[in-house]
Amino acid sequence: MKFVCLNCETYMNFEKVEKPGEGTLGVFFGCPSCNAKFSMVTNPGETQMVSALGVKLGGRTVEAEPFEMTKGTLKDEATTGSGQMAAYLNEKIQGGQPAVTAATTAVPGEKSSSGCPFSAMVAEMGLTSGGKPGTAGVETSEFTWSADAKEKLDRLPSFVKPMVQSSVEAFARKQGYRTITLQVMDDSKNDSSNGIAWTPEAEKRLENIPDFIRPMARKEIERVAKERGMATITAQVMDDVKDKFMKFM
Amino acid sequence: MAVEKDLKAILRNLKYSDDAKVLEQISEHTRQVHVRMAGIKHKLVVMSGKGGVGKSMTTVNLALAFARQGAKVGLLDVDLNGPCVPRMLGLHGQSLTMGPEGAFPPIGPLGVKVASMDFFLDDASPVRWKGPMDVSPAWLGLMEMNVIREFLADVVWGELDYLLVDLPPGAAADKPPVIAGFIPDLAGAIVVTTPSEVASDVVQKSVTYARDMGIKVMGMVENMSEYRCPSCGEVNELFEGNIEAMCEMLDLPLLGRIPFDRKLARTFDKGQPLLDETYPTIQRYQDIAGRIRTLLDYKKVLADKL
Repeated sequence: MKFVCLNCETYMNFEKVEKPGEGTLGVFFGCPSCNAKFSMVTNPGETQMVSALGVKLGGRTVEAEPFEMTKGTLKDEATTGSGQMAAYLNEKIQGGQPAVTAATTAVPGEKSSSGCPFSAMVAEMGLTSGGKPGTAGVETSEFTWSADAKEKLDRLPSFVKPMVQSSVEAFARKQGYRTITLQVMDDSKNDSSNGIAWTPEAEKRLENIPDFIRPMARKEIERVAKERGMATITAQVMDDVKDKFMKFM
Repeated sequence: MAVEKDLKAILRNLKYSDDAKVLEQISEHTRQVHVRMAGIKHKLVVMSGKGGVGKSMTTVNLALAFARQGAKVGLLDVDLNGPCVPRMLGLHGQSLTMGPEGAFPPIGPLGVKVASMDFFLDDASPVRWKGPMDVSPAWLGLMEMNVIREFLADVVWGELDYLLVDLPPGAAADKPPVIAGFIPDLAGAIVVTTPSEVASDVVQKSVTYARDMGIKVMGMVENMSEYRCPSCGEVNELFEGNIEAMCEMLDLPLLGRIPFDRKLARTFDKGQPLLDETYPTIQRYQDIAGRIRTLLDYKKVLADKL
């Protein structure tokens, strides 16, 4: 925050801070050239905004105490608080008339305009009122889903279901399957999205990794292979990845 | 008539100096947080998108689980408006001890150090801030963030293996990921959810937002996955849901499942937490803590086991 003396075309210097009233600050500036003085006075809202930054205007003269701001701003520590701004406005601006409160009071008997302004847009997007895609279309499929696979799919949270369905069907399409069974669903999980194949030996070595981090490890190894332009994860790639991580130890 | 001045031209010739020293103080705040956090090996935040999923219970039990494994642990409860960690650990009524070096936290069960807003409040008092709330509470968010900054900068944790931070509930565009962004060298976030579809819907949003903020989400804990009968010990499902599928979709490891355990919950409600590591639900927390350690040592595990 700075003030400019337009006569001298220079920044005014910060001089001091005073507290002219409860919840207000007077910040003093002086022009180093013409010596003009200027004081900016803040209302309680502006004062609180500065105080919320946790800084002292003009810098600290004494070291901050631990939790200085927390202790200083908890209401039980002082008597000031709610109503201060209203009182300030009442006194300074409205000449004693009650200050307008933040909440707008509804006119009795007057009904607010009905309906959500976004409803038409939501309808256009094919979303339900809950914000989720409507069910129409989600369950239509070019594939036949076996009863147990369908049951597994139906048990998924609604926001996950379309993604899983699409991913499993993409795998089935790639493999030339027409029917989706539990086995196809399981196999689709292990299908590499990078189009990278794994030798049985490499797969076996991956099983040494604890199961809950195995998917992360699989991705990391495939990423390394991809970086090196390799289409198959072999024992050699596994050795390279192992060496890479040995360097972090 | 006064000559119209061109402010842009005037400013071009002036050198700005921060003589109100605002920027200097804000930089110093950040430096203090870095200095204080430097002695902590692993900083983890525990978050959820939804309130009431058992985030504090999970944080407290993970802290105790790490402590049982011999680690030096700190627990920071930054849920300013609903701090409950001290009560759960039997520390309600205690306070931080202020000294020239900073604020020393009380020590709870198994040596876990705890800092919480609860230590500044009287019995049954909510957090009430000074200020002109009657016109706008817009400044409140700024002030709360600075209070949290003081918790990070002023508590004397000393050397710790783990600092677990219990974040307030909230999802996108809310405080938790921003608070996490305050913490230097954050190891990652543990996300807690229940299997209910409502909770998991919100939680997945908070995971996405945390990732957008550059926070590494380490894994998910499914809480209240089942109900363990206190009489016969039989376990039944509480909600219908599929967290495993959600983890798969979000590409996150499922760190573990915790049943709703009335017996365990009651001990924490009374501030006399059950600490017996042979108790089945506590064993599950031990397993989750073990998995978090594995994730923190991910590179070492790959180097060893591949």
